[in-house]
Amino acid sequence: MNDTLIELRNVGVAFNVGRSIAGQRHWALEDVSLSLRRGERLGVIGRNGAGKSTLLRVIAGILAPDRGSMTRGPVSCQLLALALGFVPYLSGRDNAVLSGLLLGLRRREIVARLDAIREFSELGDFFEQPIASYSSGMNMRLAFSVAMQVEPDVLLIDEVLAVGDAEFQQKSGAALRARMGEGHTVVLVSHNEREIARLCDRVLWIEHGRSVLEGPRDEVFEAYHRDMHVAKPA
Amino acid sequence: MRLHLIELILFNTYAELRAEAARSYLGLVWWVLEPALMMATFWFVFDVILHSGGPDYVPQLLIGLTVWQWMKSCMTHGGYAIWSHLGLVRQTRLPPLVFPLVAMLSDTVKFLCILVLLLVILWCVGYPPNMAYFALPPLFLVVFVFAAGIGFMISAIVPLLPDVRFVIEQVLSVVMFLSGVVFSLSNVPAPLNQWLALNPVAQIMDATRGILMHGAWPHWLALAKVSLVSIVVCFAGAAVVRHFAPRYPKLAS
Repeated sequence: MNDTLIELRNVGVAFNVGRSIAGQRHWALEDVSLSLRRGERLGVIGRNGAGKSTLLRVIAGILAPDRGSMTRGPVSCQLLALALGFVPYLSGRDNAVLSGLLLGLRRREIVARLDAIREFSELGDFFEQPIASYSSGMNMRLAFSVAMQVEPDVLLIDEVLAVGDAEFQQKSGAALRARMGEGHTVVLVSHNEREIARLCDRVLWIEHGRSVLEGPRDEVFEAYHRDMHVAKPA
Repeated sequence: MRLHLIELILFNTYAELRAEAARSYLGLVWWVLEPALMMATFWFVFDVILHSGGPDYVPQLLIGLTVWQWMKSCMTHGGYAIWSHLGLVRQTRLPPLVFPLVAMLSDTVKFLCILVLLLVILWCVGYPPNMAYFALPPLFLVVFVFAAGIGFMISAIVPLLPDVRFVIEQVLSVVMFLSGVVFSLSNVPAPLNQWLALNPVAQIMDATRGILMHGAWPHWLALAKVSLVSIVVCFAGAAVVRHFAPRYPKLAS
Protein backbone atom coordinates (compact mmCIF):
# COMPACT_ATOMS: atom_id res chain seq x y z
CA MET A 1 0.00 0.00 0.00
CA ASN A 2 2.96 2.29 0.66
CA ASP A 3 3.88 1.90 -2.98
CA THR A 4 0.70 3.61 -4.11
CA LEU A 5 1.68 6.91 -5.69
CA ILE A 6 -1.68 8.16 -6.86
CA GLU A 7 -5.17 7.11 -5.96
CA LEU A 8 -8.43 8.41 -7.43
CA ARG A 9 -11.71 7.58 -5.74
CA ASN A 10 -14.95 8.22 -7.65
CA VAL A 11 -13.50 11.28 -9.33
CA GLY A 12 -15.69 13.49 -11.51
CA VAL A 13 -14.71 16.52 -13.61
CA ALA A 14 -17.21 18.92 -15.16
CA PHE A 15 -16.78 21.56 -17.85
CA ASN A 16 -19.10 24.47 -18.50
CA VAL A 17 -20.87 24.16 -21.81
CA GLY A 18 -19.86 27.05 -24.08
CA ARG A 19 -19.05 30.36 -22.43
CA SER A 20 -21.79 30.23 -19.86
CA ILE A 21 -20.65 30.86 -16.31
CA ALA A 22 -23.62 29.55 -14.42
CA GLY A 23 -25.05 27.47 -17.25
CA GLN A 24 -25.12 23.81 -18.12
CA ARG A 25 -22.23 21.57 -17.12
CA HIS A 26 -20.88 18.61 -19.00
CA TRP A 27 -19.30 15.84 -16.93
CA ALA A 28 -16.29 14.68 -18.95
CA LEU A 29 -15.43 12.31 -16.10
CA GLU A 30 -18.32 10.96 -14.05
CA ASP A 31 -16.93 8.39 -11.70
CA VAL A 32 -13.40 7.11 -12.15
CA SER A 33 -11.34 5.25 -9.59
CA LEU A 34 -7.80 4.03 -10.01
CA SER A 35 -4.72 3.24 -8.05
CA LEU A 36 -1.23 3.68 -9.47
CA ARG A 37 1.70 1.95 -7.80
CA ARG A 38 5.40 2.70 -8.14
CA GLY A 39 6.96 1.13 -11.23
CA GLU A 40 3.58 0.24 -12.69
CA ARG A 41 2.76 0.83 -16.34
CA LEU A 42 -0.94 1.53 -16.56
CA GLY A 43 -2.70 1.69 -19.90
CA VAL A 44 -6.01 3.52 -20.26
CA ILE A 45 -8.42 2.29 -22.90
CA GLY A 46 -11.91 3.34 -23.96
CA ARG A 47 -13.78 4.66 -26.94
CA ASN A 48 -13.48 8.23 -28.25
CA GLY A 49 -14.89 10.71 -25.77
CA ALA A 50 -14.63 8.27 -22.87
CA GLY A 51 -12.64 10.82 -20.86
CA LYS A 52 -9.14 9.33 -21.22
CA SER A 53 -7.33 12.61 -21.89
CA THR A 54 -9.28 14.40 -19.16
CA LEU A 55 -8.23 11.65 -16.76
CA LEU A 56 -4.55 12.17 -17.65
CA ARG A 57 -4.90 15.90 -16.96
CA VAL A 58 -6.42 15.11 -13.57
CA ILE A 59 -3.52 12.79 -12.72
CA ALA A 60 -1.08 15.48 -13.93
CA GLY A 61 -2.65 17.92 -11.46
CA ILE A 62 -3.78 20.28 -14.23
CA LEU A 63 -7.48 19.69 -13.60
CA ALA A 64 -8.88 19.52 -10.09
CA PRO A 65 -11.67 17.00 -9.48
CA ASP A 66 -15.14 18.52 -8.96
CA ARG A 67 -16.21 15.50 -6.96
CA GLY A 68 -14.60 12.44 -5.47
CA SER A 69 -11.12 12.54 -4.03
CA MET A 70 -7.56 12.17 -5.17
CA THR A 71 -4.52 11.26 -3.11
CA ARG A 72 -1.08 11.92 -4.49
CA GLY A 73 2.20 11.06 -2.81
CA PRO A 74 5.15 13.47 -2.96
CA VAL A 75 5.84 12.68 -6.60
CA SER A 76 6.23 14.69 -9.78
CA CYS A 77 3.80 13.89 -12.60
CA GLN A 78 4.36 15.25 -16.05
CA LEU A 79 2.24 15.03 -19.14
CA LEU A 80 4.44 14.38 -22.15
CA ALA A 81 3.33 17.44 -24.12
CA LEU A 82 4.97 18.20 -27.44
CA ALA A 83 6.01 21.71 -28.52
CA LEU A 84 4.90 23.12 -25.18
CA GLY A 85 5.23 26.92 -25.30
CA PHE A 86 7.10 26.95 -28.62
CA VAL A 87 7.56 30.49 -30.00
CA PRO A 88 7.98 30.69 -33.81
CA TYR A 89 10.47 33.59 -33.79
CA LEU A 90 12.92 31.94 -31.40
CA SER A 91 15.70 29.54 -32.33
CA GLY A 92 15.47 25.80 -31.76
CA ARG A 93 17.94 26.23 -28.89
CA ASP A 94 15.86 28.92 -27.12
CA ASN A 95 12.66 26.96 -27.67
CA ALA A 96 14.30 23.85 -26.23
CA VAL A 97 15.18 25.77 -23.05
CA LEU A 98 11.73 27.37 -22.84
CA SER A 99 9.87 24.14 -23.42
CA GLY A 100 12.15 22.25 -21.01
CA LEU A 101 11.41 24.82 -18.30
CA LEU A 102 7.68 24.50 -18.95
CA LEU A 103 8.01 20.73 -18.70
CA GLY A 104 9.45 21.14 -15.21
CA LEU A 105 13.20 20.95 -15.81
CA ARG A 106 15.65 23.33 -14.15
CA ARG A 107 17.54 25.58 -16.55
CA ARG A 108 20.91 23.99 -15.84
CA GLU A 109 19.43 20.54 -16.53
CA ILE A 110 18.05 21.52 -19.90
CA VAL A 111 21.22 23.44 -20.85
CA ALA A 112 23.30 20.37 -20.03
CA ARG A 113 21.12 18.34 -22.39
CA LEU A 114 21.06 20.77 -25.33
CA ASP A 115 23.72 18.84 -27.23
CA ALA A 116 21.78 15.62 -26.79
CA ILE A 117 18.59 17.37 -27.99
CA ARG A 118 20.37 18.78 -31.01
CA GLU A 119 21.76 15.38 -31.88
CA PHE A 120 18.56 13.40 -31.32
CA SER A 121 16.50 15.89 -33.32
CA GLU A 122 18.95 15.70 -36.24
CA LEU A 123 18.47 19.42 -36.84
CA GLY A 124 22.15 20.28 -37.37
CA ASP A 125 22.69 24.00 -37.98
CA PHE A 126 18.92 24.57 -38.04
CA PHE A 127 19.03 24.23 -34.24
CA GLU A 128 20.25 27.85 -34.12
CA GLN A 129 17.60 29.10 -36.59
CA PRO A 130 14.09 30.38 -35.72
CA ILE A 131 11.66 27.48 -35.71
CA ALA A 132 9.37 29.49 -38.01
CA SER A 133 11.75 28.29 -40.75
CA TYR A 134 11.24 24.60 -39.82
CA SER A 135 9.09 22.10 -41.63
CA SER A 136 6.40 20.48 -39.47
CA GLY A 137 8.54 17.31 -39.34
CA MET A 138 11.53 19.28 -38.02
CA ASN A 139 9.30 20.96 -35.48
CA MET A 140 8.04 17.60 -34.21
CA ARG A 141 11.60 16.23 -34.05
CA LEU A 142 12.67 19.12 -31.86
CA ALA A 143 9.51 18.88 -29.73
CA PHE A 144 9.94 15.16 -29.15
CA SER A 145 13.66 15.48 -28.40
CA VAL A 146 12.93 18.07 -25.72
CA ALA A 147 10.02 16.14 -24.20
CA MET A 148 12.20 13.02 -23.93
CA GLN A 149 14.55 14.84 -21.56
CA VAL A 150 11.92 15.05 -18.85
CA GLU A 151 12.18 12.40 -16.17
CA PRO A 152 9.31 12.78 -13.73
CA ASP A 153 8.35 10.17 -11.14
CA VAL A 154 5.19 9.50 -13.12
CA LEU A 155 5.23 9.96 -16.88
CA LEU A 156 1.85 10.56 -18.52
CA ILE A 157 1.60 9.86 -22.23
CA ASP A 158 -1.40 10.79 -24.35
CA GLU A 159 -1.12 9.04 -27.71
CA VAL A 160 2.37 10.45 -28.32
CA LEU A 161 4.23 7.27 -29.11
CA ALA A 162 6.05 8.21 -32.28
CA VAL A 163 6.29 11.37 -34.37
CA GLY A 164 7.83 12.69 -37.57
CA ASP A 165 8.61 10.86 -40.79
CA ALA A 166 8.82 7.07 -41.00
CA GLU A 167 12.49 6.96 -40.00
CA PHE A 168 12.10 9.29 -37.04
CA GLN A 169 8.91 7.50 -35.99
CA GLN A 170 10.93 4.34 -35.54
CA LYS A 171 13.63 6.18 -33.64
CA SER A 172 11.25 8.14 -31.39
CA GLY A 173 9.03 5.12 -30.76
CA ALA A 174 12.05 3.02 -29.79
CA ALA A 175 13.33 5.75 -27.46
CA LEU A 176 9.98 6.06 -25.73
CA ARG A 177 9.56 2.30 -25.36
CA ALA A 178 13.08 2.10 -23.93
CA ARG A 179 12.13 4.83 -21.44
CA MET A 180 9.01 2.92 -20.46
CA GLY A 181 11.03 -0.26 -20.04
CA GLU A 182 13.42 1.38 -17.59
CA GLY A 183 11.12 0.82 -14.65
CA HIS A 184 9.46 4.24 -14.70
CA THR A 185 5.91 4.64 -13.55
CA VAL A 186 3.87 5.39 -16.63
CA VAL A 187 0.24 6.04 -17.52
CA LEU A 188 -0.37 5.57 -21.22
CA VAL A 189 -3.47 6.59 -23.15
CA SER A 190 -3.64 5.15 -26.63
CA HIS A 191 -6.04 3.89 -29.25
CA ASN A 192 -3.37 1.45 -30.28
CA GLU A 193 -4.31 -1.67 -28.33
CA ARG A 194 -1.21 -3.52 -29.47
CA GLU A 195 1.01 -0.83 -28.00
CA ILE A 196 -0.85 -0.91 -24.70
CA ALA A 197 -0.77 -4.72 -24.65
CA ARG A 198 2.97 -4.60 -25.33
CA LEU A 199 3.94 -1.82 -22.92
CA CYS A 200 1.55 -1.98 -19.97
CA ASP A 201 1.10 -4.43 -17.11
CA ARG A 202 -2.24 -3.18 -15.93
CA VAL A 203 -5.12 -1.61 -17.81
CA LEU A 204 -7.96 0.71 -16.85
CA TRP A 205 -10.99 0.63 -19.09
CA ILE A 206 -13.23 3.70 -18.96
CA GLU A 207 -16.47 4.36 -20.76
CA HIS A 208 -18.61 7.55 -20.75
CA GLY A 209 -16.44 8.99 -17.99
CA ARG A 210 -16.82 5.97 -15.69
CA SER A 211 -14.29 3.30 -14.87
CA VAL A 212 -15.59 -0.06 -16.04
CA LEU A 213 -12.73 -2.30 -15.02
CA GLU A 214 -9.20 -1.99 -13.74
CA GLY A 215 -6.88 -4.94 -13.42
CA PRO A 216 -4.28 -7.14 -15.09
CA ARG A 217 -3.88 -6.39 -18.78
CA ASP A 218 -5.19 -9.66 -20.24
CA GLU A 219 -8.22 -9.77 -18.01
CA VAL A 220 -9.30 -6.22 -18.89
CA PHE A 221 -8.67 -6.67 -22.60
CA GLU A 222 -10.74 -9.84 -22.63
CA ALA A 223 -13.70 -8.07 -21.03
CA TYR A 224 -13.21 -5.02 -23.31
CA HIS A 225 -13.24 -7.14 -26.47
CA ARG A 226 -16.24 -9.08 -25.28
CA ASP A 227 -18.10 -5.81 -24.76
CA MET A 228 -17.01 -4.44 -28.14
CA HIS A 229 -18.20 -7.61 -29.81
CA VAL A 230 -21.56 -7.46 -28.07
CA ALA A 231 -21.93 -3.78 -28.91
CA LYS A 232 -21.30 -4.35 -32.63
CA PRO A 233 -24.43 -4.60 -34.79
CA ALA A 234 -25.10 -8.06 -36.14
CA MET B 1 10.15 24.66 -7.05
CA ARG B 2 10.47 28.38 -6.38
CA LEU B 3 13.84 28.59 -8.12
CA HIS B 4 12.38 26.72 -11.08
CA LEU B 5 9.53 29.24 -11.30
CA ILE B 6 11.94 32.18 -11.11
CA GLU B 7 14.02 30.66 -13.92
CA LEU B 8 10.88 30.06 -15.93
CA ILE B 9 9.62 33.62 -15.46
CA LEU B 10 12.99 35.17 -16.33
CA PHE B 11 13.61 33.02 -19.40
CA ASN B 12 10.06 33.52 -20.58
CA THR B 13 10.52 37.27 -20.25
CA TYR B 14 13.70 37.09 -22.31
CA ALA B 15 11.90 34.90 -24.88
CA GLU B 16 8.96 37.30 -25.12
CA LEU B 17 11.20 40.33 -25.63
CA ARG B 18 13.34 38.54 -28.16
CA ALA B 19 10.33 37.25 -30.09
CA GLU B 20 8.75 40.71 -30.08
CA ALA B 21 11.94 42.27 -31.42
CA ALA B 22 12.08 39.65 -34.17
CA ARG B 23 8.45 40.14 -35.22
CA SER B 24 8.96 43.49 -36.99
CA TYR B 25 11.57 44.96 -39.33
CA LEU B 26 12.60 47.72 -36.94
CA GLY B 27 12.59 45.36 -33.95
CA LEU B 28 13.84 47.03 -30.78
CA VAL B 29 13.48 50.52 -32.30
CA TRP B 30 9.70 50.26 -31.86
CA TRP B 31 10.10 50.02 -28.08
CA VAL B 32 11.14 53.68 -28.16
CA LEU B 33 9.56 54.87 -31.41
CA GLU B 34 6.00 53.86 -30.52
CA PRO B 35 5.84 55.83 -27.23
CA ALA B 36 7.71 58.71 -28.89
CA LEU B 37 5.00 58.92 -31.57
CA MET B 38 2.29 58.92 -28.93
CA MET B 39 4.06 61.64 -26.94
CA ALA B 40 4.36 63.73 -30.11
CA THR B 41 0.61 63.34 -30.72
CA PHE B 42 -0.30 64.57 -27.22
CA TRP B 43 2.20 67.42 -27.45
CA PHE B 44 0.74 68.48 -30.81
CA VAL B 45 -2.86 68.42 -29.59
CA PHE B 46 -2.49 69.86 -26.10
CA ASP B 47 0.42 72.29 -26.58
CA VAL B 48 0.51 73.32 -30.22
CA ILE B 49 -3.23 73.34 -31.00
CA LEU B 50 -4.94 73.91 -27.63
CA HIS B 51 -2.11 75.91 -25.99
CA SER B 52 -3.13 74.25 -22.72
CA GLY B 53 0.41 73.71 -21.53
CA GLY B 54 2.76 76.07 -19.73
CA PRO B 55 6.51 76.58 -19.95
CA ASP B 56 7.15 73.19 -18.33
CA TYR B 57 4.45 71.39 -20.28
CA VAL B 58 6.61 69.28 -22.58
CA PRO B 59 8.81 67.69 -19.85
CA GLN B 60 5.69 67.21 -17.69
CA LEU B 61 3.95 65.46 -20.56
CA LEU B 62 6.95 63.27 -21.40
CA ILE B 63 7.34 62.13 -17.80
CA GLY B 64 3.61 61.56 -17.33
CA LEU B 65 3.20 59.54 -20.50
CA THR B 66 6.35 57.48 -19.94
CA VAL B 67 5.26 56.37 -16.47
CA TRP B 68 1.61 55.97 -17.46
CA GLN B 69 2.40 53.87 -20.53
CA TRP B 70 4.43 51.52 -18.35
CA MET B 71 1.61 51.22 -15.80
CA LYS B 72 -1.01 50.80 -18.47
CA SER B 73 0.90 48.12 -20.35
CA CYS B 74 1.53 46.20 -17.12
CA MET B 75 -2.20 46.36 -16.36
CA THR B 76 -3.42 45.42 -19.85
CA HIS B 77 -0.71 43.05 -21.12
CA GLY B 78 -0.50 41.44 -17.68
CA GLY B 79 -4.28 41.54 -17.47
CA TYR B 80 -4.76 39.61 -20.72
CA ALA B 81 -1.88 37.19 -20.13
CA ILE B 82 -3.74 34.24 -18.57
CA TRP B 83 -6.51 34.52 -21.15
CA SER B 84 -4.04 34.56 -24.05
CA HIS B 85 -2.17 31.56 -22.64
CA LEU B 86 -5.17 29.33 -21.98
CA GLY B 87 -3.76 26.75 -24.41
CA LEU B 88 -0.69 26.41 -22.22
CA VAL B 89 -2.75 26.51 -19.02
CA ARG B 90 -4.61 23.43 -20.28
CA GLN B 91 -1.44 21.48 -20.89
CA THR B 92 0.77 22.20 -17.94
CA ARG B 93 0.54 22.62 -14.22
CA LEU B 94 1.87 26.10 -13.54
CA PRO B 95 0.72 28.82 -11.14
CA PRO B 96 -1.29 31.13 -13.45
CA LEU B 97 0.43 34.20 -11.95
CA VAL B 98 3.48 33.26 -14.03
CA PHE B 99 1.82 34.60 -17.19
CA PRO B 100 0.96 38.14 -16.00
CA LEU B 101 4.35 38.40 -14.30
CA VAL B 102 6.18 37.60 -17.53
CA ALA B 103 4.16 40.22 -19.43
CA MET B 104 4.77 42.82 -16.72
CA LEU B 105 8.50 42.15 -16.53
CA SER B 106 8.93 42.45 -20.28
CA ASP B 107 7.00 45.74 -20.22
CA THR B 108 9.27 46.89 -17.40
CA VAL B 109 12.39 46.17 -19.47
CA LYS B 110 10.91 48.24 -22.29
CA PHE B 111 10.05 51.01 -19.83
CA LEU B 112 13.65 51.11 -18.62
CA CYS B 113 14.84 51.62 -22.21
CA ILE B 114 12.38 54.49 -22.66
CA LEU B 115 13.35 55.92 -19.27
CA VAL B 116 16.99 56.22 -20.37
CA LEU B 117 15.85 58.15 -23.45
CA LEU B 118 13.59 60.34 -21.30
CA LEU B 119 16.43 61.18 -18.91
CA VAL B 120 18.70 62.13 -21.79
CA ILE B 121 15.99 64.40 -23.22
CA LEU B 122 15.39 66.02 -19.81
CA TRP B 123 19.11 66.65 -19.32
CA CYS B 124 19.31 68.22 -22.79
CA VAL B 125 16.39 70.60 -22.14
CA GLY B 126 17.70 71.83 -18.78
CA TYR B 127 16.68 69.33 -16.09
CA PRO B 128 20.00 67.82 -14.99
CA PRO B 129 20.46 64.76 -12.73
CA ASN B 130 20.04 65.45 -9.03
CA MET B 131 20.30 63.70 -5.67
CA ALA B 132 16.56 62.99 -5.56
CA TYR B 133 17.15 60.42 -8.34
CA PHE B 134 17.94 58.03 -5.48
CA ALA B 135 14.22 58.05 -4.68
CA LEU B 136 13.37 56.72 -8.15
CA PRO B 137 13.99 52.98 -7.48
CA PRO B 138 11.63 52.78 -4.47
CA LEU B 139 9.10 54.96 -6.29
CA PHE B 140 9.19 52.72 -9.36
CA LEU B 141 8.91 49.66 -7.15
CA VAL B 142 5.68 51.09 -5.75
CA VAL B 143 4.46 51.79 -9.30
CA PHE B 144 5.21 48.20 -10.31
CA VAL B 145 3.51 46.68 -7.27
CA PHE B 146 0.42 48.86 -7.81
CA ALA B 147 0.21 48.12 -11.54
CA ALA B 148 0.86 44.41 -10.90
CA GLY B 149 -1.99 44.28 -8.40
CA ILE B 150 -4.46 45.82 -10.84
CA GLY B 151 -3.04 43.63 -13.63
CA PHE B 152 -3.51 40.48 -11.51
CA MET B 153 -7.14 41.39 -10.84
CA ILE B 154 -7.81 41.98 -14.53
CA SER B 155 -5.98 38.78 -15.43
CA ALA B 156 -8.16 36.82 -13.02
CA ILE B 157 -11.41 38.08 -14.53
CA VAL B 158 -10.70 38.30 -18.29
CA PRO B 159 -10.52 34.50 -18.90
CA LEU B 160 -13.95 34.13 -17.27
CA LEU B 161 -15.46 37.27 -18.82
CA PRO B 162 -13.46 38.16 -21.96
CA ASP B 163 -15.91 40.99 -22.76
CA VAL B 164 -14.36 42.98 -19.90
CA ARG B 165 -11.44 43.78 -22.23
CA PHE B 166 -13.55 46.23 -24.21
CA VAL B 167 -14.38 48.16 -21.05
CA ILE B 168 -10.90 48.11 -19.53
CA GLU B 169 -9.30 50.20 -22.30
CA GLN B 170 -11.95 52.90 -21.84
CA VAL B 171 -11.70 52.87 -18.05
CA LEU B 172 -7.92 53.24 -18.26
CA SER B 173 -8.30 56.22 -20.61
CA VAL B 174 -10.52 57.90 -18.03
CA VAL B 175 -8.03 57.06 -15.26
CA MET B 176 -5.26 58.57 -17.36
CA PHE B 177 -7.10 61.89 -17.69
CA LEU B 178 -8.01 61.90 -13.99
CA SER B 179 -4.43 61.26 -12.92
CA GLY B 180 -2.67 64.31 -14.25
CA VAL B 181 -0.83 62.39 -16.94
CA VAL B 182 -1.37 64.83 -19.79
CA PHE B 183 -1.93 67.90 -17.61
CA SER B 184 -0.84 68.76 -14.10
CA LEU B 185 -3.43 68.55 -11.36
CA SER B 186 -2.42 72.06 -10.27
CA ASN B 187 -4.30 73.30 -13.38
CA VAL B 188 -7.52 71.75 -12.07
CA PRO B 189 -9.68 74.15 -10.02
CA ALA B 190 -10.30 73.55 -6.30
CA PRO B 191 -11.93 71.62 -4.70
CA LEU B 192 -11.85 69.10 -7.57
CA ASN B 193 -8.04 68.96 -7.55
CA GLN B 194 -8.09 67.85 -3.90
CA TRP B 195 -10.32 64.91 -4.77
CA LEU B 196 -8.19 64.00 -7.75
CA ALA B 197 -5.06 64.13 -5.58
CA LEU B 198 -6.39 61.14 -3.60
CA ASN B 199 -5.83 59.02 -6.69
CA PRO B 200 -2.62 56.96 -6.14
CA VAL B 201 -1.65 57.31 -9.81
CA ALA B 202 -1.79 61.11 -9.47
CA GLN B 203 0.47 60.91 -6.41
CA ILE B 204 2.94 58.81 -8.37
CA MET B 205 2.93 61.29 -11.28
CA ASP B 206 3.53 64.23 -8.95
CA ALA B 207 6.37 62.48 -7.14
CA THR B 208 8.10 61.45 -10.38
CA ARG B 209 7.87 64.94 -11.86
CA GLY B 210 9.11 66.45 -8.60
CA ILE B 211 12.20 64.26 -8.67
CA LEU B 212 13.04 64.56 -12.36
CA MET B 213 12.22 68.22 -12.90
CA HIS B 214 12.77 69.96 -9.56
CA GLY B 215 15.11 67.67 -7.61
CA ALA B 216 12.39 67.42 -4.94
CA TRP B 217 12.27 64.37 -2.69
CA PRO B 218 8.86 62.69 -2.63
CA HIS B 219 6.47 63.31 0.27
CA TRP B 220 7.37 60.16 2.14
CA LEU B 221 4.10 59.95 4.06
CA ALA B 222 2.05 60.22 0.88
CA LEU B 223 4.32 57.66 -0.78
CA ALA B 224 3.96 55.33 2.21
CA LYS B 225 0.18 55.52 1.86
CA VAL B 226 0.41 54.74 -1.86
CA SER B 227 2.78 51.84 -1.04
CA LEU B 228 0.31 50.44 1.45
CA VAL B 229 -2.53 50.68 -1.07
CA SER B 230 -0.28 49.07 -3.71
CA ILE B 231 0.65 46.14 -1.47
CA VAL B 232 -2.98 45.53 -0.53
CA VAL B 233 -4.03 45.72 -4.20
CA CYS B 234 -1.20 43.35 -5.19
CA PHE B 235 -2.06 40.72 -2.57
CA ALA B 236 -5.76 41.03 -3.34
CA GLY B 237 -5.05 40.59 -7.08
CA ALA B 238 -2.87 37.52 -6.46
CA ALA B 239 -5.54 36.06 -4.15
CA VAL B 240 -8.26 36.51 -6.80
CA VAL B 241 -6.08 34.73 -9.40
CA ARG B 242 -5.41 31.89 -6.97
CA HIS B 243 -9.11 31.61 -6.19
CA PHE B 244 -10.10 31.20 -9.83
CA ALA B 245 -7.01 29.14 -10.83
CA PRO B 246 -8.80 25.73 -10.89
CA ARG B 247 -11.31 27.10 -13.41
CA TYR B 248 -8.85 28.26 -16.08
CA PRO B 249 -7.79 24.82 -17.43
CA LYS B 250 -11.48 24.08 -18.03
CA LEU B 251 -12.13 27.15 -20.17
CA ALA B 252 -12.44 27.23 -23.93
CA SER B 253 -10.03 29.55 -25.77
